[in-house]
Amino acid sequence: MILVSCPWCGPRNSSEFRYVGESKGRPDPNAATPEEWRRYLYVKSNPADWATETWYHRAGCRRFFAVERHTVTNEIRETRRPAAQLRLEGGGS
Amino acid sequence: MAESTIADADAAGTPPVARSSISQAPPVAVVDGWEVSQRTSDAVLTLSDESALAKVVVHGPEAGAFAGAMGVAFGRATRRDDGVLVVGSSPGEWLLIGAPGTGAALEAAVAAGVDPAGDPAGDFVTMVDITHGRALIRLTGAAAPSLMAKICAVDLDDRVTPNATALRTSVAKLVTDVVRDDRPDGTRSYLLHCDRSSGQVLFDAVLDAGIEHGIDIAGFTAR
Repeated sequence: MILVSCPWCGPRNSSEFRYVGESKGRPDPNAATPEEWRRYLYVKSNPADWATETWYHRAGCRRFFAVERHTVTNEIRETRRPAAQLRLEGGGS
Repeated sequence: MAESTIADADAAGTPPVARSSISQAPPVAVVDGWEVSQRTSDAVLTLSDESALAKVVVHGPEAGAFAGAMGVAFGRATRRDDGVLVVGSSPGEWLLIGAPGTGAALEAAVAAGVDPAGDPAGDFVTMVDITHGRALIRLTGAAAPSLMAKICAVDLDDRVTPNATALRTSVAKLVTDVVRDDRPDGTRSYLLHCDRSSGQVLFDAVLDAGIEHGIDIAGFTAR
């Protein structure tokens, strides 16, 4: 069992969550080229390292939040609310 | 008909217009139009269907004056003097559980406390009577935590989840709101509620898990 610590509900079984995907900046849809938009939608960096991801607590508070997870060991070193994520990343998402 | 009792309802001959999603153990009576079980049990661990209780969900700003007026924070539950159980079931979400037939009154009471001009921050308050959309069961007995440990991954030890704890989690693989609401005599008790369509599955799963503890079905407690 992988424990994921929801910023609202505390540690829960990972089966309560849904993995949404890698967190990355959303390009401006009015200015992005089709290639940039395609990369945003479909291309993942998929590192064998620490990755910042978005998870959804579907069986709990039903909130989205950020998770820093090592994709090889599944270790989770931090979970945080989206607002904190925005501040840490200087306004990106 | 907030103060109706099973005996009153029988005497009035109120026809049943609503049924729980959970099969009622005989004998069955009618309370505020709901078919409810009158079964009695002296087992040390009992499970009862409380779906007839009025249930109103309220969404609003998770901080500020409205949240303060609701009187309970996320993750906690409190029983008001009028007997209504107020549950902080999610950030910015509350569930009110009252006597059968009081859904409209519960909504009116919340609405009376909302500023008609709305919240300056642009937040709004919404209420929905979900009495008929949810199944609500009560598990009571000292062995309740041991039973729950088989179907729920959350630590239900006193130090982690004391009385009046509210949480939404997975119980028997169903998304379920769990409220620890011990009986006045201190007996451990949990209210479990889930979508109506999953009610019978949850009820049966709890019964199965409780066989080793001598679980038995009890009638509607109206609380």
